[in-house]
Amino acid sequence: MEDRDSLGLRLEDGRVEQTSGGREVGAAVRLLSGEHTYYAYSDALDEAGMAAAADAVAAAVRAGDGGSAVIDLGPVRSDPGRHAVQVPPETVAIARKAQLVRAGNEAARAAGGEIVQAIVGYGDTRQKVLIANSLGDLVYDDRTRTRFTAQVVARRGDVIQTGHEAVGGSAGFELVDEATARVVATTAAEKALTMLDSRPAPVGAMPVVMANGFGGTLFHEACGHGLEADAIAKGASIYAGKLGEVVAAPIVSAYDDGSLPNGWGSQAFDDEGVPTQKTLVIEDGRLTGYLYDRLRAREAGATPTGNGRRQSFRHVPIPRMTTTYVAPGDATAADIIAATPRGFYAKSLAGGQVEPASGNFVFGVAEGYLIENGRITSPLRGATLVGNGIDILMRIDMIAADFDVKTGVCGKDGQGVPVGTGQATLRIAEMTVGGTG
Amino acid sequence: MFDILDTVLEGARAKGAPDVEVFAERSSSRRIKVYRQEVEQLTAAQRRGLGVRVFSGGAVGHAYTSDLGDAALDAVVQRAIDHAAVSDSDEFAAVPEPAGEPADVHPFDVRLTRATDERRIELAMSVEAAALAADPRVKTVEDTMYADGDGEVFIASSAGVRGSYRANQCYAFAYVLAEEDGQVETGYSYTVGRALEELDPAACGREAAERACRLLGARKCPSMKAPVVLDPFVSAAFFGVLSSALAADAVQKGRSLFAGREGRQVAGEILELVDDGTLADGLDSAPFDGEGTPCRRTPLISGGVLQGFLYDTYTGRKAGRGSTGNGVRGSYSGLPGVHPTNLVVSGPATPLADIIDGMERGVLVTDAVGVHSGANPISGEFSVGISGFLIEGGKLTTPVREVTLAGDILSMLTSVRALGDDARWVPGGSILTPSVVIDGMAIGGT
Repeated sequence: MEDRDSLGLRLEDGRVEQTSGGREVGAAVRLLSGEHTYYAYSDALDEAGMAAAADAVAAAVRAGDGGSAVIDLGPVRSDPGRHAVQVPPETVAIARKAQLVRAGNEAARAAGGEIVQAIVGYGDTRQKVLIANSLGDLVYDDRTRTRFTAQVVARRGDVIQTGHEAVGGSAGFELVDEATARVVATTAAEKALTMLDSRPAPVGAMPVVMANGFGGTLFHEACGHGLEADAIAKGASIYAGKLGEVVAAPIVSAYDDGSLPNGWGSQAFDDEGVPTQKTLVIEDGRLTGYLYDRLRAREAGATPTGNGRRQSFRHVPIPRMTTTYVAPGDATAADIIAATPRGFYAKSLAGGQVEPASGNFVFGVAEGYLIENGRITSPLRGATLVGNGIDILMRIDMIAADFDVKTGVCGKDGQGVPVGTGQATLRIAEMTVGGTG
Repeated sequence: MFDILDTVLEGARAKGAPDVEVFAERSSSRRIKVYRQEVEQLTAAQRRGLGVRVFSGGAVGHAYTSDLGDAALDAVVQRAIDHAAVSDSDEFAAVPEPAGEPADVHPFDVRLTRATDERRIELAMSVEAAALAADPRVKTVEDTMYADGDGEVFIASSAGVRGSYRANQCYAFAYVLAEEDGQVETGYSYTVGRALEELDPAACGREAAERACRLLGARKCPSMKAPVVLDPFVSAAFFGVLSSALAADAVQKGRSLFAGREGRQVAGEILELVDDGTLADGLDSAPFDGEGTPCRRTPLISGGVLQGFLYDTYTGRKAGRGSTGNGVRGSYSGLPGVHPTNLVVSGPATPLADIIDGMERGVLVTDAVGVHSGANPISGEFSVGISGFLIEGGKLTTPVREVTLAGDILSMLTSVRALGDDARWVPGGSILTPSVVIDGMAIGGT
């Protein structure tokens, strides 16, 4: 059962537009029978709606033996202090939230005369879920998430460039004050302005330095999706059958951590009532684990890792990442740049896609630069990074200590869930850059 | 349902908010996934709820609820009023007025209501079976899905808009993995309709398998500037991204690459692009849009010349004209936004075989990864990963992968030189397009 209350504010053209929010409640029933999953949900949390959902799954398995069982659910488990909320967003006047997006807009516009548009957003959600299953688990999880985003457009003649920045967390209104709002918006504006001076990115294979934070999207796409146990079970991942094998350079260790305090991708429990945890997936280059939901863990004889997630009661839980990251090393970002005679510096990624089966992935680069003689020089536009998961992980040859996590929303099977992606600055010895120059 | 909408309109009036619009929906859907000829997942869903837009002196507040009980209706109205109180005022924001008779469109086929789960499962299994039987190199069908939906929408406003309609549709999809010599390639296909009888599961499975198998042996090709042929799947993905720049809100807010180019040549002169929400076989056809405005046909590009943009009520008022019936709502919890209905790409057709036959060196692109993340609809720049085939001396030769295709959307449109004779509907944005030939594209490989 889920009860979700959301608020979203969006400013564009200097105006707070069409403030929107609401409440959605509903319930879903999932029945697992052998390898089969039957799922039904209803937006109506009354007896008729719930009975209709239960009837729908019962009808689907009418071949069953028709037996009945009484399940002792015991006391409700919950972990309210896990991602502490200092200022519940619902206790804050909407007008104060509107002030934040206005402050963001002012900061973005003040960054330069070539800023032509700022889209600033604030959102908060409180999602309360109650999960009961026939194993006897009964879990209540009360989740608050807050996020602030800025997308800024700069224009010079016919050249239009955009910059994006966001902060988010499993936290309350304390996450964003006016100063934070200004920093986020200014950062986005500066990205857009910098890119006005960019020239077309070169084409070809070269060393690529990925900046901390946003660069973590690389690991998320190139590796993380391939570690999700549904892809493993179907042999649709290049990491299937490779536990214990070398899949990355020896300097690479990586984690998925759904328990990261107040992380945007964190929760106390996953959407199947399993406590979230920190899972070591790559240790010194060797593959050590996959990301499981209950169903795939049962099939594989493994322990669920707290990665059974769903967008809402309208979605079947499937294995998903939480906050996935490459562990920091001990170099500095400056060392890495200085050690690169010619290469590409990817400061911020626009997003990417992967085919887990082949491991092939593509990223758009939102902010990129040329590295010449160990120094960052011209900004470059229109670049994409193309490669194959294991190839790229094997070629990581330097990792810095400047670890950072960024927030995003990951889509899979039509479900979007909040995720964190993290890494320190690192270098890939060679990677294909696609551009127009 | 209209009694609930009227309750909301009256509730708002009683709270001192006379300018109100209510949009409600109720729907049911089925989604079936099969794997290795077994049902892997069956989802049955019931959904309902309503959204309220309050217009208060040009400031707009929106709120939604899935609970249609009296207390929840009262709460949702109050929230919409509270939200309007923090929104900034805009002289062009007002309740949409009635804009004529609904379009003569009937997006509902009674045959689909007679579908049983047995028939649905059988259909999904036949998609998978066709894919597995198509070629020994098919390793697995990672995803085989059948889904259908049946929904009714209702709209009522204080300005006198009042309407409802029922729509349904169904589709099946297959995503195939083929393997040879340790190399894995993927392919997919769809079949869509408003009744099971309209779906072609065998063709869907077979095509997904073929699209995967023919890429086996693919490798990088040298970097080059060369003409490319985008097949309908890839063309649809590009026109999907491009269409967001044809929405009037993008134009009015300075984030469209088409701003200020009305009446100018923006594409090869053979190209016609139309938005048409009234086509009998278009999945996104409807009698009216999410604001009650009748759907219609809107030419966007004709003879390569930009004819105009897509409007909802707000952007239409701002531009001193009416809505084009493109105020689209995703669900009751969403606000209407300017989006295309069905997009149709057309022009003089050349047989695809002749196009390839006449090409000395180029690339046939059959898959593009990252069109949504790698293409920026504001700057128009894109760089995506592609798979496909080299065209050499008028023949398809080796398959290619892990190469990039980069450029900007405007140069790409103006370089459209020919269109194939293989037009088909591609779902996901409901786009009807043939293969599109574009000159002088940057291919990034070795």
